[in-house]
Amino acid sequence: MDINRIFKSDIHIKILKFFHENQASIDTPRGVATWIGEERGKVKTALEDLVNAKILVAHRATSTTGYSYTNDDKIISKVKKLLKSKESS
Amino acid sequence: MDEITNANTYQKGLFEKLRKSVSLKKEEECIACLIKPAAWWTIEKPNPKLADLKKLVSCSCPHYKASSAGKDTGCIKIIYKVIQKARETKALTKFACVHNLHGFIYPIMNEGTLYGYIGSCYKKRDVTPEVLEIFATFTDTLVREIQKELELAKLYETVRPRAIALSTVHTVHRLISSTLDLTELIPRIARLSLQIMRANRCSIKLVDSKRKILLPKATVDLRKKNVMLKKVKVGRHAPGRAFKYGRPIRGRDYLAVPLIDEDTIGVITVYDKIDRKPFTQFDQEIISTLAEQAVIAIKNAQLYKEQERITMGSIKSLAKVLDTRAPGTYVPRASFLKIALLIGQEMHLDIENMKSLEYAAILHDAGEIVVPYELLTKPSKLTSKEYELVKSHPMAGVELIKHMKVLKSVTPIILYHHENYDGTGYPKGLKKEQIPIGARIMAVVGAFEAMITKRTYRSVRKISDAIEEVKKNSGTQFDPKVVSVFLRVINRKDVQQALEKELYGH
Repeated sequence: MDINRIFKSDIHIKILKFFHENQASIDTPRGVATWIGEERGKVKTALEDLVNAKILVAHRATSTTGYSYTNDDKIISKVKKLLKSKESS
Repeated sequence: MDEITNANTYQKGLFEKLRKSVSLKKEEECIACLIKPAAWWTIEKPNPKLADLKKLVSCSCPHYKASSAGKDTGCIKIIYKVIQKARETKALTKFACVHNLHGFIYPIMNEGTLYGYIGSCYKKRDVTPEVLEIFATFTDTLVREIQKELELAKLYETVRPRAIALSTVHTVHRLISSTLDLTELIPRIARLSLQIMRANRCSIKLVDSKRKILLPKATVDLRKKNVMLKKVKVGRHAPGRAFKYGRPIRGRDYLAVPLIDEDTIGVITVYDKIDRKPFTQFDQEIISTLAEQAVIAIKNAQLYKEQERITMGSIKSLAKVLDTRAPGTYVPRASFLKIALLIGQEMHLDIENMKSLEYAAILHDAGEIVVPYELLTKPSKLTSKEYELVKSHPMAGVELIKHMKVLKSVTPIILYHHENYDGTGYPKGLKKEQIPIGARIMAVVGAFEAMITKRTYRSVRKISDAIEEVKKNSGTQFDPKVVSVFLRVINRKDVQQALEKELYGH
């Protein structure tokens, strides 16, 4: 899923906004679902999309998977720009 | 200073909401219907100056504008005095201005603190006490509602980041508690530390107390693929000092935190924040919390490793004791262990099943201790009574290890490793998938080992012959899936070399 397609989905934007505002956060699908007020199953799928797009990092363990924001400066500034344009539109 | 800032923010928020309040506008309209015409103003300070009032009144009072053009301050002085009175009495205070017009000042309060006033003037008739009471009650309710809203917003702003941080700590705890493998755990802690600190590099070092040195166990650097693992002497550099003094050592671009349980076992150090900002006290607190969790996870993994060593030691000792009966029969050969584990790996056995397979590879024939030595080495055919005795060895093996709780998962492999895939084996005549996977693997490896290693009662077969024999019995004695994996494993160069070295010494 490319970054522009991601920005057409509300749930993906909500997740991105959460991680962009809380860049040190690592959370499970259940945690993220709570913070953004969406259903866990949908959040889980969207989180994996964002991992594939290299915007999020998945920390996989046997009991759960923790998701965190990328450390890549370029991706972060691109997301910042897109979130800003989304807010102003 | 913080309290003043908070109070100012609160006051600002309160008046912003009052200005935007639709309810207050409606209330003003209602009152205006009763006592028209009226001018309204909000004074957003508990101690306004004359100049502030002049500005406010001049903007909202048309009479003031028309009559004095902003030069006559008599009216303003009256309002100023009334405000002082309202501040003292903290109650609604009425007045009449120089133009003989009526008005009132109502103080806005919360828990005894005065934040400002709502004022009204340019009323030709005096306002009746009933109207004023309705106004005061309505305004009080409105202010209380706004106060609640502000408090909730403040609570949300304060609690949410902390709740998110707490959730992160909880997730990290789950992630690092889910493995007891130190080689997996320590790099994972390093990666998570990097993520939480938004840093470029993290290094975890554990102490070698004898040598008074910190040994690098994991270093992750987002800027480099290959990193140098450096030892550090206790007391030297940030990690060495954090270890020596048992407290965090923070510089602009580094933060070292000791891993302390009952004693200090190592240090986590993070370097260079991604945003190039210095490490803060908050960073120190967060990484210290992570270090507290990390040290427990590391200690647990170390204890688990130690327990595994003890278990393996006990198993090997048991095999050594058994081996005194028939030297070379029970002490495990590394190459067969390797074959069994490689098959297990290729068949995607989980960690627990792999461990059981490893133990079973050593102990699978331990039950032969109940079979007389003469019988085990008898070159001629066994009588049916003798064969029954031999067939009892899997059960005897289980009896032997049943008091070692840690070997509980090994018992099905030992008990069923002589079951045949077609159901003709013993002790229960289980078929196909009824036989545990570990036992199906052990059946192949055990038979292969027995064929190519020296036994007093029969001659040794060549490796190639033994492989053919395994192939021949695929689907009858052995699981065809296991045989197919076995054939792949046995053809590996490293396995061939290990076998030849162990069996023939070259």
